[in-house]
Amino acid sequence: MENNCGKALLNKLRMIDFSIYETVLFLDAYPEDNEALAYYHKLLEQRKALMSEYETKVGPLTIYGNTCGNEWKWIKQPWPWEYDAN
Amino acid sequence: MWNYEKKLQYPVKIKNPNPKLAQVIISQLGGPDGELAASMRYLHQRYAMPYAEITGILTDVGTEELAHLEMVAAILYQLTRNLNEEQIRDGGFETYFVDHTTGIYPIAASGVPFDMKYVGIKGDLLADIHEDMAAEQKARVTYDNILRLTDDPDVRDPIKFLREREIVHYQRFGDALRIAQDHMDSRNYYVSNPSFDMGCSQKS
Repeated sequence: MENNCGKALLNKLRMIDFSIYETVLFLDAYPEDNEALAYYHKLLEQRKALMSEYETKVGPLTIYGNTCGNEWKWIKQPWPWEYDAN
Repeated sequence: MWNYEKKLQYPVKIKNPNPKLAQVIISQLGGPDGELAASMRYLHQRYAMPYAEITGILTDVGTEELAHLEMVAAILYQLTRNLNEEQIRDGGFETYFVDHTTGIYPIAASGVPFDMKYVGIKGDLLADIHEDMAAEQKARVTYDNILRLTDDPDVRDPIKFLREREIVHYQRFGDALRIAQDHMDSRNYYVSNPSFDMGCSQKS
Protein backbone atom coordinates (compact mmCIF):
# COMPACT_ATOMS: atom_id res chain seq x y z
CA MET A 1 0.00 0.00 0.00
CA GLU A 2 2.64 2.45 1.12
CA ASN A 3 4.73 1.44 -1.87
CA ASN A 4 2.05 2.25 -4.46
CA CYS A 5 1.20 5.48 -2.72
CA GLY A 6 4.91 6.32 -2.70
CA LYS A 7 5.28 5.67 -6.43
CA ALA A 8 2.27 7.82 -7.29
CA LEU A 9 3.72 10.64 -5.21
CA LEU A 10 7.14 10.14 -6.79
CA ASN A 11 5.66 10.38 -10.28
CA LYS A 12 3.76 13.56 -9.38
CA LEU A 13 7.00 15.02 -8.08
CA ARG A 14 8.82 14.00 -11.26
CA MET A 15 6.22 15.79 -13.35
CA ILE A 16 6.44 18.98 -11.31
CA ASP A 17 10.24 18.83 -11.34
CA PHE A 18 10.24 18.33 -15.10
CA SER A 19 8.11 21.47 -15.54
CA ILE A 20 10.36 23.38 -13.17
CA TYR A 21 13.49 22.29 -15.02
CA GLU A 22 12.05 23.31 -18.39
CA THR A 23 11.09 26.69 -16.92
CA VAL A 24 14.54 27.16 -15.35
CA LEU A 25 16.32 26.51 -18.65
CA PHE A 26 13.93 28.93 -20.36
CA LEU A 27 14.43 31.60 -17.68
CA ASP A 28 18.22 31.32 -18.01
CA ALA A 29 17.83 32.40 -21.63
CA TYR A 30 14.87 34.78 -21.10
CA PRO A 31 15.34 36.19 -17.57
CA GLU A 32 12.99 39.12 -18.26
CA ASP A 33 9.98 36.91 -19.07
CA ASN A 34 7.51 37.66 -16.26
CA GLU A 35 5.00 35.05 -17.36
CA ALA A 36 7.65 32.31 -17.09
CA LEU A 37 8.74 33.66 -13.71
CA ALA A 38 5.17 33.57 -12.37
CA TYR A 39 4.81 30.01 -13.67
CA TYR A 40 8.06 29.06 -11.93
CA HIS A 41 6.74 30.39 -8.60
CA LYS A 42 3.44 28.56 -9.01
CA LEU A 43 5.28 25.29 -9.64
CA LEU A 44 7.59 25.88 -6.70
CA GLU A 45 4.62 26.07 -4.31
CA GLN A 46 3.32 22.74 -5.64
CA ARG A 47 6.75 21.16 -5.28
CA LYS A 48 7.10 22.33 -1.69
CA ALA A 49 3.82 20.67 -0.69
CA LEU A 50 4.63 17.44 -2.57
CA MET A 51 8.17 17.21 -1.16
CA SER A 52 6.91 17.50 2.38
CA GLU A 53 4.18 14.90 1.75
CA TYR A 54 6.67 12.50 0.14
CA GLU A 55 9.31 12.85 2.84
CA THR A 56 6.73 12.36 5.59
CA LYS A 57 4.98 9.36 4.02
CA VAL A 58 7.79 7.62 2.13
CA GLY A 59 11.25 8.80 3.13
CA PRO A 60 14.00 11.32 2.50
CA LEU A 61 14.60 12.47 -1.05
CA THR A 62 17.75 14.37 -0.10
CA ILE A 63 20.13 14.18 2.84
CA TYR A 64 18.28 17.15 4.34
CA GLY A 65 14.99 15.24 4.40
CA ASN A 66 15.48 12.63 7.10
CA THR A 67 12.50 14.02 9.01
CA CYS A 68 12.21 10.93 11.22
CA GLY A 69 13.97 11.72 14.51
CA ASN A 70 14.85 8.21 15.66
CA GLU A 71 15.67 6.37 12.43
CA TRP A 72 18.22 6.80 9.58
CA LYS A 73 15.82 6.27 6.66
CA TRP A 74 18.04 7.72 3.92
CA ILE A 75 19.51 4.30 3.06
CA LYS A 76 16.34 2.27 3.67
CA GLN A 77 14.34 2.87 0.47
CA PRO A 78 15.54 1.23 -2.77
CA TRP A 79 18.10 3.22 -4.79
CA PRO A 80 16.76 5.02 -7.86
CA TRP A 81 18.30 2.66 -10.44
CA GLU A 82 16.60 -0.41 -8.99
CA TYR A 83 13.60 -1.93 -10.77
CA ASP A 84 11.47 -1.71 -7.64
CA ALA A 85 12.16 1.99 -7.15
CA ASN A 86 10.42 2.91 -10.41
CA MET B 1 28.24 22.23 -4.83
CA TRP B 2 25.69 19.66 -5.86
CA ASN B 3 22.91 17.96 -3.93
CA TYR B 4 21.73 14.46 -4.70
CA GLU B 5 18.04 13.67 -5.09
CA LYS B 6 17.21 10.03 -4.57
CA LYS B 7 15.09 9.64 -7.70
CA LEU B 8 15.56 9.20 -11.44
CA GLN B 9 14.49 12.18 -13.53
CA TYR B 10 12.28 9.80 -15.55
CA PRO B 11 11.42 6.22 -14.53
CA VAL B 12 13.42 3.22 -15.80
CA LYS B 13 11.65 -0.10 -15.36
CA ILE B 14 12.92 -2.84 -17.68
CA LYS B 15 11.40 -6.31 -17.28
CA ASN B 16 13.66 -8.33 -19.58
CA PRO B 17 17.45 -8.34 -19.23
CA ASN B 18 19.30 -7.97 -22.55
CA PRO B 19 23.10 -7.76 -22.22
CA LYS B 20 23.58 -7.43 -25.97
CA LEU B 21 21.48 -4.27 -26.05
CA ALA B 22 23.30 -2.95 -22.97
CA GLN B 23 26.56 -3.13 -24.93
CA VAL B 24 25.13 -0.70 -27.48
CA ILE B 25 23.41 1.67 -25.05
CA ILE B 26 26.62 1.94 -22.98
CA SER B 27 27.89 4.42 -25.60
CA GLN B 28 25.54 7.00 -24.10
CA LEU B 29 27.36 6.49 -20.79
CA GLY B 30 31.00 6.58 -21.86
CA GLY B 31 30.99 7.11 -25.62
CA PRO B 32 31.99 10.19 -27.68
CA ASP B 33 28.53 11.78 -27.50
CA GLY B 34 27.42 10.26 -24.20
CA GLU B 35 26.09 11.84 -21.04
CA LEU B 36 29.42 11.75 -19.19
CA ALA B 37 31.04 13.75 -21.99
CA ALA B 38 28.06 16.12 -22.05
CA SER B 39 28.15 16.88 -18.32
CA MET B 40 31.96 17.32 -18.30
CA ARG B 41 31.80 19.58 -21.37
CA TYR B 42 29.20 22.02 -20.03
CA LEU B 43 30.22 22.07 -16.40
CA HIS B 44 33.84 22.88 -17.33
CA GLN B 45 33.04 25.38 -20.08
CA ARG B 46 31.22 27.53 -17.50
CA TYR B 47 34.30 29.18 -16.00
CA ALA B 48 35.33 31.04 -19.15
CA MET B 49 31.81 32.12 -20.06
CA PRO B 50 31.46 35.92 -19.83
CA TYR B 51 27.65 36.28 -19.90
CA ALA B 52 25.44 35.23 -16.98
CA GLU B 53 22.60 33.84 -19.10
CA ILE B 54 24.98 31.43 -20.84
CA THR B 55 26.74 30.46 -17.60
CA GLY B 56 23.27 29.66 -16.22
CA ILE B 57 22.38 27.51 -19.23
CA LEU B 58 25.69 25.61 -18.95
CA THR B 59 25.23 25.06 -15.20
CA ASP B 60 21.65 23.84 -15.45
CA VAL B 61 22.00 21.78 -18.63
CA GLY B 62 25.25 20.30 -17.25
CA THR B 63 23.46 19.34 -14.05
CA GLU B 64 20.61 17.74 -15.99
CA GLU B 65 23.21 15.70 -17.91
CA LEU B 66 24.33 14.21 -14.59
CA ALA B 67 20.74 13.06 -14.08
CA HIS B 68 20.83 11.54 -17.58
CA LEU B 69 24.10 9.79 -16.76
CA GLU B 70 22.26 8.13 -13.89
CA MET B 71 19.30 7.19 -16.11
CA VAL B 72 21.57 5.54 -18.71
CA ALA B 73 23.39 3.69 -15.92
CA ALA B 74 20.01 2.54 -14.56
CA ILE B 75 19.09 1.19 -18.01
CA LEU B 76 22.42 -0.70 -18.18
CA TYR B 77 22.05 -1.97 -14.63
CA GLN B 78 18.57 -3.34 -15.27
CA LEU B 79 19.48 -4.83 -18.68
CA THR B 80 22.32 -6.82 -17.08
CA ARG B 81 20.72 -7.99 -13.85
CA ASN B 82 20.21 -11.66 -12.89
CA LEU B 83 22.21 -12.98 -15.86
CA ASN B 84 23.07 -16.65 -16.14
CA GLU B 85 26.25 -17.89 -17.84
CA GLU B 86 24.40 -18.75 -21.03
CA GLN B 87 23.00 -15.22 -21.37
CA ILE B 88 26.49 -13.79 -20.84
CA ARG B 89 27.97 -15.98 -23.59
CA ASP B 90 25.11 -15.82 -26.10
CA GLY B 91 24.67 -12.09 -25.81
CA GLY B 92 28.27 -11.39 -26.79
CA PHE B 93 28.59 -9.86 -23.34
CA GLU B 94 31.59 -11.97 -22.31
CA THR B 95 34.21 -9.43 -23.43
CA TYR B 96 32.74 -6.81 -21.08
CA PHE B 97 31.97 -9.35 -18.36
CA VAL B 98 35.53 -10.63 -18.13
CA ASP B 99 36.84 -7.20 -17.12
CA HIS B 100 33.92 -5.58 -15.31
CA THR B 101 31.48 -8.41 -14.40
CA THR B 102 28.18 -6.49 -14.22
CA GLY B 103 29.67 -3.32 -12.77
CA ILE B 104 28.89 -0.12 -14.68
CA TYR B 105 32.04 1.14 -16.42
CA PRO B 106 31.86 4.09 -18.86
CA ILE B 107 33.02 2.91 -22.28
CA ALA B 108 31.90 3.41 -25.88
CA ALA B 109 29.97 0.63 -27.62
CA SER B 110 33.20 -0.25 -29.43
CA GLY B 111 34.85 -0.93 -26.04
CA VAL B 112 37.03 2.20 -25.87
CA PRO B 113 37.02 3.59 -22.30
CA PHE B 114 35.69 7.10 -21.71
CA ASP B 115 38.12 9.77 -22.84
CA MET B 116 38.14 13.53 -22.16
CA LYS B 117 39.20 13.87 -25.80
CA TYR B 118 35.47 13.70 -26.51
CA VAL B 119 35.06 17.05 -24.78
CA GLY B 120 35.87 20.36 -26.46
CA ILE B 121 36.67 23.34 -24.23
CA LYS B 122 38.21 26.09 -26.36
CA GLY B 123 37.79 29.06 -24.00
CA ASP B 124 36.15 31.05 -26.81
CA LEU B 125 32.43 31.49 -26.45
CA LEU B 126 31.50 31.17 -30.13
CA ALA B 127 33.60 28.02 -30.53
CA ASP B 128 32.28 26.52 -27.28
CA ILE B 129 28.60 27.22 -27.98
CA HIS B 130 28.88 25.75 -31.47
CA GLU B 131 30.56 22.70 -29.91
CA ASP B 132 27.59 22.36 -27.55
CA MET B 133 24.97 22.67 -30.29
CA ALA B 134 26.77 20.01 -32.35
CA ALA B 135 27.13 17.80 -29.27
CA GLU B 136 23.38 17.85 -28.62
CA GLN B 137 22.66 16.91 -32.23
CA LYS B 138 25.22 14.08 -32.13
CA ALA B 139 23.69 12.72 -28.92
CA ARG B 140 20.24 12.94 -30.55
CA VAL B 141 21.51 10.85 -33.49
CA THR B 142 22.98 8.25 -31.12
CA TYR B 143 19.59 7.91 -29.38
CA ASP B 144 17.91 7.68 -32.82
CA ASN B 145 20.32 4.85 -33.70
CA ILE B 146 19.60 3.07 -30.39
CA LEU B 147 15.87 3.31 -31.17
CA ARG B 148 16.54 1.61 -34.52
CA LEU B 149 18.13 -1.32 -32.67
CA THR B 150 15.45 -2.21 -30.12
CA ASP B 151 11.71 -2.75 -30.06
CA ASP B 152 11.50 -3.35 -26.30
CA PRO B 153 9.01 -0.69 -25.11
CA ASP B 154 10.54 -0.70 -21.60
CA VAL B 155 13.85 0.45 -23.11
CA ARG B 156 12.43 2.71 -25.82
CA ASP B 157 10.41 4.79 -23.36
CA PRO B 158 13.32 6.26 -21.31
CA ILE B 159 15.51 6.44 -24.45
CA LYS B 160 12.83 8.57 -26.17
CA PHE B 161 12.73 10.85 -23.13
CA LEU B 162 16.51 11.29 -23.28
CA ARG B 163 16.37 11.93 -27.03
CA GLU B 164 13.81 14.69 -26.56
CA ARG B 165 15.99 16.37 -23.94
CA GLU B 166 18.82 16.63 -26.49
CA ILE B 167 16.51 18.64 -28.73
CA VAL B 168 15.45 20.96 -25.89
CA HIS B 169 19.09 21.50 -24.91
CA TYR B 170 19.94 22.25 -28.53
CA GLN B 171 17.25 24.97 -28.50
CA ARG B 172 18.67 26.51 -25.32
CA PHE B 173 22.20 26.52 -26.76
CA GLY B 174 20.69 28.21 -29.82
CA ASP B 175 19.42 30.89 -27.42
CA ALA B 176 22.92 31.04 -25.92
CA LEU B 177 24.40 31.74 -29.37
CA ARG B 178 21.87 34.55 -29.93
CA ILE B 179 22.63 36.03 -26.48
CA ALA B 180 26.38 35.88 -27.19
CA GLN B 181 25.97 37.60 -30.54
CA ASP B 182 23.71 40.28 -29.01
CA HIS B 183 26.58 41.20 -26.71
CA MET B 184 29.17 41.23 -29.49
CA ASP B 185 30.05 43.59 -32.31
CA SER B 186 27.81 42.58 -35.22
CA ARG B 187 30.17 44.27 -37.71
CA ASN B 188 32.88 41.80 -36.74
CA TYR B 189 32.12 39.02 -34.27
CA TYR B 190 35.79 38.07 -34.34
CA VAL B 191 37.18 41.42 -33.26
CA SER B 192 37.79 39.94 -29.80
CA ASN B 193 37.19 36.81 -27.74
CA PRO B 194 34.98 37.99 -24.83
CA SER B 195 35.87 34.80 -22.94
CA PHE B 196 39.46 36.09 -22.75
CA ASP B 197 39.81 39.75 -23.75
CA MET B 198 38.69 41.62 -20.64
CA GLY B 199 36.76 44.81 -21.28
CA CYS B 200 36.16 43.91 -24.91
CA SER B 201 32.94 42.07 -24.22
CA GLN B 202 30.64 45.02 -24.85
CA LYS B 203 29.37 46.32 -28.16
CA SER B 204 31.46 49.25 -29.35
